[in-house]
Amino acid sequence: MHASPRRPGGARLAALVLLVLPLAIYSFLYLMPIGSMVALSVDNGELGRSLIAFRDADPADADARAAALLADLQAMDAGTQGATARGLNQNLAGFRSLFLNTARKSGEIEPTMAGLVAFDPRWAEEQYWQVMDRNTAPFTLRHFGQATGLVLDDNGRLTAGGDDIYVQIMWRTLMIAVQVTLVTLLISYPLAYAVANARPRFAGFVLVAVLMSFWTSILVRTTAWVILLQTSGLVNAFLLWTGAIAEPLQLIFNRFGAIVSMTHVLLPFAIIPMMNVMRTIPKSQADASRSLGAGPIETFLRVYFPQTIRGVAVAAGTVFILALGFYITPSLTGGPRDQMVSFYIAAFVKESLNWGMASALSVLLLGAVLVIVAIYGAARWAMARPGGRA
Amino acid sequence: MKVIGIATLCAVVAAPVAARDVTIAGWGGNYQDAQREAYFKPFAAKSGLNFTETTYLGGLAEIKAMVDTNNVSWDFLIMGGSELQLACDEGLLEPLDWDAIGGKDDLLPGAAIDCGVGNVVIGNGFAYNSEVFPTPPQDWKDFFDRDTFPGKRGVNNTPQFNLEYALMADGVPPDQIYEVLATPEGVDRAFAQWDKIKDLLQYWESGAQPVEWLASNNVALSTAYNGRIIMAKREGKPLEFVWKNHVVNMDGWAMVKGSPYKDHLTEFMQTVNDPENQAKFSSLMPYGPSNTLAASHLSPEIVAGLPAGDNITEAAFMSDAFWIDHLDELRERWSRWSTQ
Repeated sequence: MHASPRRPGGARLAALVLLVLPLAIYSFLYLMPIGSMVALSVDNGELGRSLIAFRDADPADADARAAALLADLQAMDAGTQGATARGLNQNLAGFRSLFLNTARKSGEIEPTMAGLVAFDPRWAEEQYWQVMDRNTAPFTLRHFGQATGLVLDDNGRLTAGGDDIYVQIMWRTLMIAVQVTLVTLLISYPLAYAVANARPRFAGFVLVAVLMSFWTSILVRTTAWVILLQTSGLVNAFLLWTGAIAEPLQLIFNRFGAIVSMTHVLLPFAIIPMMNVMRTIPKSQADASRSLGAGPIETFLRVYFPQTIRGVAVAAGTVFILALGFYITPSLTGGPRDQMVSFYIAAFVKESLNWGMASALSVLLLGAVLVIVAIYGAARWAMARPGGRA
Repeated sequence: MKVIGIATLCAVVAAPVAARDVTIAGWGGNYQDAQREAYFKPFAAKSGLNFTETTYLGGLAEIKAMVDTNNVSWDFLIMGGSELQLACDEGLLEPLDWDAIGGKDDLLPGAAIDCGVGNVVIGNGFAYNSEVFPTPPQDWKDFFDRDTFPGKRGVNNTPQFNLEYALMADGVPPDQIYEVLATPEGVDRAFAQWDKIKDLLQYWESGAQPVEWLASNNVALSTAYNGRIIMAKREGKPLEFVWKNHVVNMDGWAMVKGSPYKDHLTEFMQTVNDPENQAKFSSLMPYGPSNTLAASHLSPEIVAGLPAGDNITEAAFMSDAFWIDHLDELRERWSRWSTQ
């Protein structure tokens, strides 16, 4: 690199650094957690690091393997033993107690296969040794395998043989997000129109109502729906009173409840961008269109609506991406068939301490978002090209 | 420059930690109110320390994060028995010195463990609204009987306890449930029971929901903790807890590893093991004491609402050892079942 003719002087350099520094810190703070999440999803944890002698033992010599395992156990501290046992138990239920019981007595057990089997007959079962053989590397794809239902066969090829529960959940998450986005757009378009075009007092009233709900805690809003929609709730009580129904309807703890409450939480994110776009459209255009002979419907479809598409697209994108990550609202208002992928991520983090699995699911969710953003970007690029529609 | 910034930030964040009060984490609500009276205040008086309280919602994630980052902001906490054992195995808790604490033989079997002490005996069973069912359900068979006892069932969304309930409904004696559940056929049997009423289930997350739902006829029957139902009954709600074949488990106290108040660990454990303090807790909150000497400080009316005495003659005792090994596997199966 050659020196530029006008090297930035001290003050200019300082200004430059000051300008770039926040960006650098921001990128660092933004990218680092994502990087560590990706790393965690393939990290085999203590399991991949603690079976050192066992990894190097001759696989054909059972006694050498037993001795190496006992030597590894004695070298570990209690926390490492616990973390290794957790990793093994994620592979095979029951391994935890076998491993920890053996670890506690590792000094007293004769370091041969016969000694281990005499301590606990389960050591004679091949499955326990296979799990350890598979997990001596510091990196693993087992979390992704479990998340996608794809398993590595003996030839190292991926095959769809596993349980695809998380693929179904991912698909369900996308579907709920699409449904919520559509309902939100249908409700918020007329509201945004009202705020942008109605008389100032009415517009102000609608805007305040929207913002009030925006400023209310998400938990309060969600709980309010539980109270409204439950079997003995206000909505059912009203419908029973009017005689419209004879039996209370199940309105909550199912997909309906989840979508209603999520839509309510997300409405402001759709109304505000649409309203801003609508406010820039001069009212005189409609008058012009009408004076040229178009009816109100044609005016809306050909003059007004095309100009609001930009706002609708921003609203749809925002609502969709936010809905994908929803956790608390569907967990309080949906049933078990309406839980989204974040619910399972939280369960893996909080309950099973299986952060690898939580990270693998997060990476898949992030991947899904990136794919959708890429498709959206490609569509916009195609439309903006000369000869494209808009 | 950035390094200095981060260092300053850490210093600012870390500074108040060193000088903080003893922090005790509990399950919140009436439960924690009772513990404050029975344990926290006597402990504060004895040790001369100030305490603050916070809420713990289960799981090991928070504790692991504290220990791993060496930023321990809780000192004492109450945990479910199997999670306590798990956290102990993971090295997240301070080991106890039982020679110094003493009184180990007065505690229920299994209460005194390496890094914690079982303290609260909880009955896990089901409850009903006596205004809805004048002929009350008797046992788990009735819970799974959708014809005689129609209506929705509230259940906690976890395999723990639920699989035990299902096996007892299928005729397995309480002392054999874990032998059966350790076999794949036994697990299938339990899920086959749940299949019978799957469409009637409404899942609760917090112990307050069953009370609310039963009282407002939102569900016909609901699994519940005995304490919540007995408390509601004392407040005049027409709820009854079914004692037959309920499953007993224990919550216990422990200290997070690396706590700055380690010197007070023994003193705290003595306070929570004290029979009079435990009797005080049980009289405020209808859960059983873990100290066998506490019963003599309690009136018969109180004991009638506790998982103790006659109430536990037909009870099952939860096996922490079974669940530590099988929770991951069975939780996955349960969520696959409940989600499809």
